[in-house]
Parts: sequence; structure tokens; C-alpha cells
Amino acid sequence: MLRKEAAARRQPWSDTARGYALNVPALLAILLLVAYPIGYSFWVSLHRDNLAQPALRRFIWFDNYLGLFSDQAFLRSLWVSALFVVLVVTVTVLLGLSMALVLNETFMGRGVLRSLVLLPWAMPGVVNGLMWRTVFDAKTGALNGLLLQLGLIDSYQAWLTSTTGAFVFTAMAQVWNTLPFVVIVLLAGLSTIPGELYAAATVDRAGVFQRFREVTLPWLMHPLLIVLILETMNAFRAFDTIYVLTGGGPGDTTTTVALLTVQRVLTFTDVGLGSAYAWVITLITLVISVGYVSLLYRRGSFEV
Amino acid sequence: MTPTRTQISRRTLLGAAAALPLLAACGNRGGSGGTGTVRFEGWDYEPPLVEENIGNFSKLHPEIKVQYTPITSAQYRQKVVAEFTGKNGPDALYVYDDSLGTWVQSGYLQPIDGLPGVDEVYNGIYDANAKAMTFQGKRYGLPYYTDCMGLIYNAEILEKAGISAPPKSLDELEQQSLKVKDAGLMPYPLAFAAQLQDTWQSWIWALVYSSGGQLFSDDMKPVMNGADPVAGQAFEWLHRASNQSKIVDPASLQLTPVPLDNAMKAGQYAFNFGARYALRDYNDPARSQQAGKLKLAPIPSLDGTLKGTVGTTRMYCLAADTDVKDQAMTLLNYLGGYTDGQPATARYWFLKRGLGFTFKDLAQDKEITEALAKFVDPTIYAQLAEVAKARNVVHAPWYAEFEASLQKTTQQVLTNQSTAPAAMTALADSANALAKKYS
Repeated sequence: MLRKEAAARRQPWSDTARGYALNVPALLAILLLVAYPIGYSFWVSLHRDNLAQPALRRFIWFDNYLGLFSDQAFLRSLWVSALFVVLVVTVTVLLGLSMALVLNETFMGRGVLRSLVLLPWAMPGVVNGLMWRTVFDAKTGALNGLLLQLGLIDSYQAWLTSTTGAFVFTAMAQVWNTLPFVVIVLLAGLSTIPGELYAAATVDRAGVFQRFREVTLPWLMHPLLIVLILETMNAFRAFDTIYVLTGGGPGDTTTTVALLTVQRVLTFTDVGLGSAYAWVITLITLVISVGYVSLLYRRGSFEV
Repeated sequence: MTPTRTQISRRTLLGAAAALPLLAACGNRGGSGGTGTVRFEGWDYEPPLVEENIGNFSKLHPEIKVQYTPITSAQYRQKVVAEFTGKNGPDALYVYDDSLGTWVQSGYLQPIDGLPGVDEVYNGIYDANAKAMTFQGKRYGLPYYTDCMGLIYNAEILEKAGISAPPKSLDELEQQSLKVKDAGLMPYPLAFAAQLQDTWQSWIWALVYSSGGQLFSDDMKPVMNGADPVAGQAFEWLHRASNQSKIVDPASLQLTPVPLDNAMKAGQYAFNFGARYALRDYNDPARSQQAGKLKLAPIPSLDGTLKGTVGTTRMYCLAADTDVKDQAMTLLNYLGGYTDGQPATARYWFLKRGLGFTFKDLAQDKEITEALAKFVDPTIYAQLAEVAKARNVVHAPWYAEFEASLQKTTQQVLTNQSTAPAAMTALADSANALAKKYS
């Protein structure tokens, strides 16, 4: 009896309560470092709040958001971002799928090739931008050297100074950086497809394209969904590579909404409007993600 | 278990953890934090030399302790704003002329009118610098350094093309560039640092000011699309030079100042619009293949007469809420004023690194002119200082946003996305919209 009482004194809380108690530090850290800043940024977005004009700080409800409908710089950057996302996601998914299909085959050196494919993913965005800046350089760039030696150009070109060139090459630099992730996810998806399905399809005289359409693609819907959601978010938030390569130019050709947001908050210290930009980016990526899920999730649900 | 000298109980540990934020809060005070030490901050240009100079100050004033913190240049404005916003700003600091108005209006800085040494300094410096450090009739800074823009040309390349003197007008610049092209010396003789950046693009302003034009009236109303046609004409020339005669390197849009400097030192361009200060580096045989060949001239104007150029001023200012005003002002006077009748620090920076001086007397100083003559013609150097003007819109709270618009619009003109008249209209619209937004 005494021993039980002593034990109860030593353990006054139930296991559940103790579990919660032990999680409190982590929860507090999440609240302080994640939830609070997110909530606070929304609160700030409801204010006119430019650090350059602290005396004019005031609560303005949703004026920052309503003003975006007539903010030409914002609307233009949104359009640039949309084009950038479409180009980057399309090329990334098509290239990634092709590479995953190749790397899923058995051939000599596959392991080495799989490792090499991962390399660009290990590169930070800024380094990626600096590398491609060197490659595209108008005076000493490797791309110019290669094309000149192949006889495709007569003289070195400033690739990043034409509107189309800047947009396409910046998108390609972004694709190069994020492609490995797509390959890995799709490769993992491909490895889960039972071999019997392909055998059965072959017996049914299905050709390569039919096997791809009827077997591979349905099994890849869920990995594709993940890839599409994350790559769309990535492309929409793309900043470092673009900042280093073009700074948003020429003019505003590559000024994406993420670039504009960073400029508004850090250069112009307009934290109120900048936070509103950030929340619009969040909202748009959320809507796109929900769209992807509703389009693709059910198509991937099937019985084996 | 009772705590010993080496063991701490959990209760003690928790107590200490709770006390830490309180202690931190106690330490979170602006300026000296009550220690009597002058907290001095600046962007990270040559910190060892700054420390050496502060060491010299400490020998003169051993009673004043200075804590110097260099901050990465690229984040200087943001870091200082964050510090002042958090009530933890320095006592004395470097300030850019285009941050002054905003920082005064934000309550970060205090005027120094009437403080010891200030009048003497303002009487001895160029008007453009005095104007740049004055806001709404009050003086806020003592000068750190100044510089202004000129045409930098490679005399050897011009000579090879049969040109004996640098251009005076923009048309001459175009013709001389075409001669250099035709001689097969280089495909694009002229370049600018035209990549979009967070700092100002001085060459755009210089192009307008050199022809006597303005982008804004003195009451900060845009005049580039109406009252003052000069900016439009200068942009017309820029459009032609870039898209028709093609003398401007298209790679300019990818150039920031340092790569442009390197290209000039490698002899890749015949002309650029650069700061006088660059000549010291350009003509240093240890650092430049073209040393001795790169010369300075006024920026060509529309009609060939010298009407001005644009200058910039970097200054030392006093924080509004400093607890050690007298000590900080003594430091400011040493750094930006006179010591024993001499602008000692201005002289120190010029002799050590060639930083431009704001004190008119130094232009006649024998030691200075001898040092200047090693890399630039002292007469042209002084002539540009005399005609340099400060941007008359830098004190507007929306200046940074306008500068971003200006750079984008200039890129559009350079890449033929926009014509000069359309660019002027866009800039005026942008300025009007910004003024309304910030009002």
C-alpha cells in the first residue's frame, strides 16, 4: 500500500498527460517559430505599414488586397509567374518522366547515372543561378563557346538580354535545379508497379504506348500529383535563380510575384503590402493544389 | 540531491531560463545601452582601415570608447532600419544621401545644426554635398566621401581609331564609337552597368544632368514628360545608340559595376560612364592591363557644352535617441570634420583609397593633387566636383521605388521594348502614382 502511494506520488500525471507535457516544448517552438509569424504576417497585411513611414502605420482592413486589382506591377508579375510556372512545370514533368522511365530500365551503369541525376538537386538556388549566369555569359559563357564551335552562331550572344531569351533561359535554369526531385519521386512510383501487369499487357498484345497509357500512367497518378503540387509551388515561389540571373529584367520580363514580394518587403520596406503579396501567393498555390488533387487523386485510385 | 558548486538543480535551471528573456529585454536598449560607449555602425568598406582610424581617434580622445560594427553593404539599409525599429540602433552611423530623408522622417536621426564644428564644415564643402546632407532646412550629416560621374575612355583605343580627343557631345560619342567599330577594334565600344539592382544607377542620372536636364522639379514633381525635354532627348539618344547604331553592348543589361570595371581594365570597351574614383583602380598597373590609358572627361551632353553631372554623398549622422550625444558628436567631428584645422579623415581616405573629398580646400592641396595626378587629371577631377549636382528627389520617401522603375524603364529603352517618349510618360506616371501612394 505504502509502495503504491509512493509510486503515485512519484507519478502524479497519467501517461497521456505526460505525453502532452513532453510535447509542450515542441508545440511551443512550432507556435512561436511557425504559427505566430504566419498569423502575424496576416495581421501586418491588414495594415498600411512601411518602415520608411512609421508615423503613417494604421489598420486598413483589406485595402492592401483590394488595391492589388489595380496594381499594374503586381498583375504583370502574376502573369509572368503564371507563364513561368506553366513552362517550368511542363518541361520538368515531361523531362522528369522520360528520365525516370529510362532509369527504371536495367542497363550497365544505371546506378552511377541515378547518382549523377541527383547532383543538381544538391545545389542551392543562388549557386545554381551563378553557375548558369557563367554558362550564359555574353563574353565568356560556355554556351556561346559551344554554339560557336558547332557553327550555329557567328559571334557571342547576350542570351539574357532579349525578352524571350531571358525568360526561357531562366526557366531552363530553374528546371535543371528541380528536375532530380521529379525523377526520384517518379522513379519511386515506377518501382511500385507490379511486373505482372506489364506481362499481362504484353500477352494482350498491348504496344509500348498502350502499356504506358493503361498501366504506367494510372500507377503514377499519385506520384505525379505530389510532383505537380510541389513543382508548382516551387516555380511559383522561384526567387534566387531569377534574382541572380536577370534581377527580374530586361524591364519586367522575368519579374515574378516572388521577386516582387521580396523587393517590396526588403528593398522598399513596405511590409504591409509585401505581406499581402505573400498571402496572395499562398492562396493561389493552395487553389492550384486543390485543383490538382480534385483532378488527379481519384484517377489514381484503383484496385489491384 | 542538493545542488553543489558544479551541479545545478532543475528548478535553478528553469529559473535561469525564465530570467534570460528578462535579462535580454533589459539589454535591449538603443545606442550605447547606458555604458557610455559610442556604438558606431557603417557598411563594410575597408573595416580594418576604419578601425585604424578609430584607433587614431582614441589616441586623441582616450576618454571616449567607440564600439565599431561593420555591416554587409548589401544589407546595410535593411539592417539599420531593423535595428532602429527594434529600438536598438547605433549612436553614430554611415548614411547614404538617398536614405537621409526617409530615415529622418522615420525619426532615426537628429539634426546637428548649431553643434560644434558643423558650420565650419558646411562652409568648407561643395554646395552639392551640403545640399545632400540637408533635409527640410536642417543639417543632418558630416561628410564621409563624395563622388561624381564622368566619361571614362581608353585613349589608346581612340588613338588606334584615329581619334585625338574625347567626345563632348552625345552625337560625337556615337560617331567616335562607330569609328572604333569600323576600325574593327571592338563590336561594342560603349557599356554601362545596367543590370537591375537595389542601389541607384548613377549613369542614367548623369546622362540627364550632363545636358542640364532634370527628371524632377525642386518640389519633386516629375518634369521629364513635359516641362523639361532634356531627359526625353537623352533617352532618345540612348535608344538610338542601343538599337540603331548599336554602339552599346547588349551585355550591359547583365553588367553590375564590378564586372564592368574588370571589362574596362581588360580593354574590352572604349567608353563607359563611371565614377571618378574608379580611375585609381583602372590606372593601377598592379590591377589593370590598361593602366595609364584610361582617362576622365565630362559626360558628353546633347549640345556639347558642360552643364553638370550627378554626384553622391555618403555621410556620418547622429542617432536621434543616443544617450552619448556629446561623445558621438566628437567622433563625428573627427570623422567628418576638421582636426587641428585639417579635414584629417577625408585626407586619410583619399590618400589610402582615393575616396572623393567634399572639402574644397583639398583640391588645392599639393599632396592631394600629386596623388591625384597619378591616376587622373586633377583639373577635370575638380571641374566635375564643381558642377556636380545631387539628385533632387532622393529625400522623397518613394525614391527607392522610383529608382527601380527608372532602371526597368531604361532597360526597356535599351532593348527596344519602349521608345523614349513612352518611357518618359511611364516614368512620370510612376512618379505621380508613387507620390499619391506615399502621401
